[in-house]
Amino acid sequence: MKQNVSKKERLSWNQKCILCLVPSLLGLLLFYIFPYLRVLYYSLINNQFDKDFAGLKNYIDAIQNEYFRLAFKNSIQLIITCIPVLIVLAILVSLGLTFLLKRFKMVRVAFILPMLIPTASVVLFFQKVFSGIENELPLYLMFLWKNIGICIILLTAALTTIEEDIYEAARLDGAGGMMLHFQITLPLILPTISFSTLMAIVNSFRIFRESYLYYGGNYPPNYGYTLQYYMNNNFLKFDYQALASSSVLTSFLVAAIVAVFFLIERRYQR
Amino acid sequence: MKHLLRFLLYLLAAVFFLPTLATLLLSFFPEGELSLSGYDDLFFDCFSFYTMFWNSVIYAYAITALQLVVILPAAFAFSFARFKHKETLFFFYIILMMMPLQVMILPNYIGLRDMGILNTRAGIILPMIFSPFGVVVLRQYMKNIDASVIEATRLETNSMVRLLLHAVAPQVQVCLYAVGIFVFAESWNMLEQPMLLLQDKNLKTLTIFFNNSTSYGDQILYPASVVFMIPILLLYLFFHRELERGLTLHDS
Repeated sequence: MKQNVSKKERLSWNQKCILCLVPSLLGLLLFYIFPYLRVLYYSLINNQFDKDFAGLKNYIDAIQNEYFRLAFKNSIQLIITCIPVLIVLAILVSLGLTFLLKRFKMVRVAFILPMLIPTASVVLFFQKVFSGIENELPLYLMFLWKNIGICIILLTAALTTIEEDIYEAARLDGAGGMMLHFQITLPLILPTISFSTLMAIVNSFRIFRESYLYYGGNYPPNYGYTLQYYMNNNFLKFDYQALASSSVLTSFLVAAIVAVFFLIERRYQR
Repeated sequence: MKHLLRFLLYLLAAVFFLPTLATLLLSFFPEGELSLSGYDDLFFDCFSFYTMFWNSVIYAYAITALQLVVILPAAFAFSFARFKHKETLFFFYIILMMMPLQVMILPNYIGLRDMGILNTRAGIILPMIFSPFGVVVLRQYMKNIDASVIEATRLETNSMVRLLLHAVAPQVQVCLYAVGIFVFAESWNMLEQPMLLLQDKNLKTLTIFFNNSTSYGDQILYPASVVFMIPILLLYLFFHRELERGLTLHDS
């Protein structure tokens, strides 16, 4: 009997805990999940009026669309070019901030501040400095400027958890200088490096804000046309089918990237 | 060798600091020489700036405050409740957190239209409150929480609200600050939502002001940029330590 009561109590505590999740879950369902399912439905019908099932036609149209391809190519090119540079730079700066600068810690402000500074308030400066340059370089630099902060926060946090003893032991074994970091530091922070890479890839899909403000309009030059422009312009044209199918395609792509990342990570943790 | 590396690091820091610093400086040199006339023009001739500024303030404060109210219990539930498929649901939160805004803007638009709150303040604020980012970060941070404090508080009170406020919140304070600042900056910087979900000019934010920048001259835009970044600079000044220690997104 007594056991029964305590079991009942424990159950109600657990139920209370679950209830804590309800507001968040309800909001998520109402503002994200249900609307997303409607978009999924829109991507499968021919138009708003007949609502005939169209199969994968909208998806095929999207993939064959010249602008979708251009946007996709530019987005991938941004990832391939910028992410390695960003990650290597962030690792070097984090190592420097942790091991070289014991006194002037405030230097890190310069790297972390950009992630909070509104893009809108520095875009004018970038426009002035790069006014003559007609390629994607200014956009790439803005991406680096904006995204290095979060990587450095994550990396330096990981670096400070490494115990000094490990280095002592390694020095006794004869390791030193840069080799020390290659052989000991990098393997230890590898999980954080890979997570930073994931965050950077995901954030590269958000470069739209920078490029929109930089090029100042709905029709940027070809090299600046990323996936989000494609979606944005279809939004303004109220072309729901094109937008819905490209939204769904992009969401699948991002979900796949994240899932692959966590699968790889789980395998290596074992 | 060490000196050279240190020098390179300083140099790089200077380069990264340049856009912010240059914007600050240029705002005081509207016609090539030191004067406050840019600020004068902005404050006394540019009245749309005030409306948009206050809109940005309202959105950022409302979103930050309400989001913190939602994520604390949610993260607590993910840490302490036991139910089937909890980890799957959490993974779903992570995936949703990673989604680019553009993917969600049409769903957002359709959802808000059907609820009849398109083109209102609520339409901007409500979806942002339920963004999964804070839940994910706070839950990661709660892994290091002292559970005995919660057990002790449970003996004293039956109220979940009290438990959250007195036993949980103080332990995750640093993370709450970090998330708060991050969310504030995100809402302060948002461009797509006010651009696509609002038609009413009186509801739009400062980011839109800069987006229509061709109608204003540089002598107004630089001071406006400075005014726009001041709240963020102040927040960073006061809470940079919390920001650096509280954002554990991933357990290493």
